Amino acid sequence: MASALSLVRPAHTPHPSGLAPRELAGEDALVDRARRGDVDAFERLYHLHAGRVYALCLRLAGEPLEARELVQDTFVHAWEALPRFRGDASLTTWLHRIAVNALLERRRRDKRRSARVALVEDEDDGESAPMAGGFVAPIDVATAIDLERAIAALPPGVRRAFVLHEVEGYTHEEVAGMTGLATGTLRAQLHRARQLLIRALSL
Amino acid sequence: MNEHTSPSDEKLDELTAALPREIAPPPEVWSAIRAELAERSSNARRWDRWRLAAAGLLIAASSSLLTVVALRTRDHARAVAVAPRSSPAAAATAEPRLPARLASMEQGYLRSTEALRRTLDERRDSLAPSTVATVERSLRIADSAIAEARAALERDPSNAVLAALFTSNYERKIDVLRRATELAPRT
Repeated sequence: MASALSLVRPAHTPHPSGLAPRELAGEDALVDRARRGDVDAFERLYHLHAGRVYALCLRLAGEPLEARELVQDTFVHAWEALPRFRGDASLTTWLHRIAVNALLERRRRDKRRSARVALVEDEDDGESAPMAGGFVAPIDVATAIDLERAIAALPPGVRRAFVLHEVEGYTHEEVAGMTGLATGTLRAQLHRARQLLIRALSL
Repeated sequence: MNEHTSPSDEKLDELTAALPREIAPPPEVWSAIRAELAERSSNARRWDRWRLAAAGLLIAASSSLLTVVALRTRDHARAVAVAPRSSPAAAATAEPRLPARLASMEQGYLRSTEALRRTLDERRDSLAPSTVATVERSLRIADSAIAEARAALERDPSNAVLAALFTSNYERKIDVLRRATELAPRT
């Protein structure tokens, strides 16, 4: 069976951004202009990448309102950090890292706030799941929509691992670098995610 | 090679691979981003004006410190309250009595400040009047502090603290000019 990475990334789109070489050259020029403060160039970069970033944020957050806020945080931060973007990673990967950091920062803030009001925290990783408090809601029909719902209902840490590795195709090491998790912990979370999803979708 | 081998795992992989990689965000998201960028840019400009003003105050404070140092390190007859006599550029050419190392450094500072000043003059129409006023005030304070340090050094050329104040005042003046030129976009 093909690996998750090859399933997610078709062979004809070798670059992680999914952009063709000509588009990438244009993207470099847009990055240069945006670095110099050209908001119109940045808007074009936004339109090139917003779909990928929003899809990631939606799956990481599990609900659209926070996903929109995360996209906003991501691109505002990207605008400010663009002068430091050296192009070592693709712009997509860089934006994804910013989105993951924005989410983690929100979770840390939520956790501090929760601690102050002494709320009960999720037993899995100290975060509350947006839909089902850490339990996967039973879903009967195995469709993509059901899978999206099941992913959204995963406990947050487990969901993050699954989305970044299985959906976005990042390696274990890359996900570990983004999230600060040990690879062993990450593998355990991925295993748990698969078990929960298979059970929820009755596969 | 894949570590998942059961039919359930395969089915899950198929479903996962079929998920859309892109989902268009609502159109209002870009408007919100653009508005926030504009607000931050405006705040940054305000902040830069404050920093320019703060740089001027810092130079003024170092000038006061200079007087204190002069009072403490030398007898009053030689070092007390040396008033600024002329602009640093005029002093540098008319009275070359600084130690050679400092005189040479001053020539470098003068070249830098003159180049930045020319750039600033070319772009000053794009700056808000309040910003221009802040910059000019900071530069006047800087020139006064430099002249004061220079005069004190001519009387006490071996004073290392005075030398440090002299060079740091030039560096702050260059910093004020550089920030001001960055605030003013090319026309």
